Amino acid sequence: MLAAASITREVGWAIVIVLGLIWIGLGILWGRKAKNSEGFMLAGRNVGLSLGSATAMATWVTSNTMMVAPLLALKMGIWGMLAYASASFGLMLFAPLAARIKSVMPDGFTSGDFFRQRYGAAGWSMFMVITLLYSITWLVTMAIAGGKLLEELGEIPYLQGMSLILVVCVLYTLFGGLYAVIGTDFIQSLIILLGVVAIGVMVLFHLDHGATYEYVETNQPALLDVLMPVALLAFFNNMLFGFGEVFHNNVWWSRAFAMRKGVAPKAFFLSGILWFPIPIAAGFIALAAGPLGINVTDPSKVGPAVANHVLGEYGMGMTGGILILVVLFCSIASSIDSLLAATSDLLVKDVYCGLFKRKLTDDTFRRVAAVAILLVAGIAWLVALPGHNLDTVLFSAGGLVASLIWPIIAGLFWKRCNRALVLIGIIAGVITGYICWFAVQTYVAALAGGAVSMLFTVLSRFIAPSPFPERTSASPNVE
Amino acid sequence: MFSSSFFYGLVILGLTWTALGALALIVLLLKDWIKKQLW
Repeated sequence: MLAAASITREVGWAIVIVLGLIWIGLGILWGRKAKNSEGFMLAGRNVGLSLGSATAMATWVTSNTMMVAPLLALKMGIWGMLAYASASFGLMLFAPLAARIKSVMPDGFTSGDFFRQRYGAAGWSMFMVITLLYSITWLVTMAIAGGKLLEELGEIPYLQGMSLILVVCVLYTLFGGLYAVIGTDFIQSLIILLGVVAIGVMVLFHLDHGATYEYVETNQPALLDVLMPVALLAFFNNMLFGFGEVFHNNVWWSRAFAMRKGVAPKAFFLSGILWFPIPIAAGFIALAAGPLGINVTDPSKVGPAVANHVLGEYGMGMTGGILILVVLFCSIASSIDSLLAATSDLLVKDVYCGLFKRKLTDDTFRRVAAVAILLVAGIAWLVALPGHNLDTVLFSAGGLVASLIWPIIAGLFWKRCNRALVLIGIIAGVITGYICWFAVQTYVAALAGGAVSMLFTVLSRFIAPSPFPERTSASPNVE
Repeated sequence: MFSSSFFYGLVILGLTWTALGALALIVLLLKDWIKKQLW
């Protein structure tokens, strides 16, 4: 158990049900704005800067941000927090890509659309395998994290908590589509930001600064090492992982398509700026564990353990537990809803409309989208049932996603290339990434996979390049 | 070695920056709302 649970099971249930009902209610309310598939999937392509920035930032804040940032700080000290924060560069650097995406595909719906147009059926198939595998793994890890956190913090049995969090997210995504996802993301982003600050400030004021630094300097001096090798590796590996994840995933492409013209670059850059300090604000509290005498039995839960302890010291007990639960719930829900929406969009547009050549009309889009959302959620629920820790599966995919960075950049900005070489480079990058993860070291997978793919992509510009095909309709079989 | 002042400076910067981020989002929301450019 994380700590003596500071909230009872009844309170835990009450919080999740109340939050769930609010989000579902908002989903129903905002869902009325979606009159057609474009409205449901892309919020009418008219999202403004505030909602656009918030949704990009909130989606990128996951339970990993709250749990792994402190874990990395515990293992790698100051560089650990900065290593996690480097993932924000992916959002910032997606800004020029978002501008280009809107320019080359003004009527686009998915990142799959792009890959099909640029790299043909073979490229599209490869891309769909990678992105669906990655997205569903990410979704499953969020569901598992939600279930385990509700169990630790609120004594809600794992299966019930995991199912509940999925059901809530499914329902408001079903009713409201991307309108609901983006709207709730704004609220969740404020809760996350303010919650992290509140907890962080309380921990900071609770610490004896001089004694804390002395403790770490004496007992864990490596955590203060400016040239800690593994930390430096982690910084750049995580950065590249962030590039790969953001550049390829339909979660971000759908947001780029959803934002009004001219908004997407500013929103993504701003979201990265907003996201950067969060791992630092959430992560540093792990370094307080030793000085505060907290016995960390599970390093992956050091963040909530320290927060729970300090809030208890302030006499906040139940209130503190509620605050931690709400912040973590929001960080998980803001990612689950985005993954449900974006992954189901791929199934609808790329598979139902593209592969099976079925038509999508104003009358049928809700039903088809609903089936896709339920299918994705159902698969995630089944895989999450046993509650196995899938973090290794997710984090080992650095090479998988980093291999897509350069093919996407080439497809967006170049006029010609050797497409076969690019696709070979993706495969070579993926294989290299996994070999490096298992045989070399954790924090080299994305670096190695990305480097190999980059080499092939650069070569493709010079070895028998051919022009990219003319742009065809971005959304087949859509009325 | 990272100094004590760097460590605490980074933490305070992180917390302040995060708080300002929340404020920025609220201000932007109000601006978009007034201009009817929310979504």
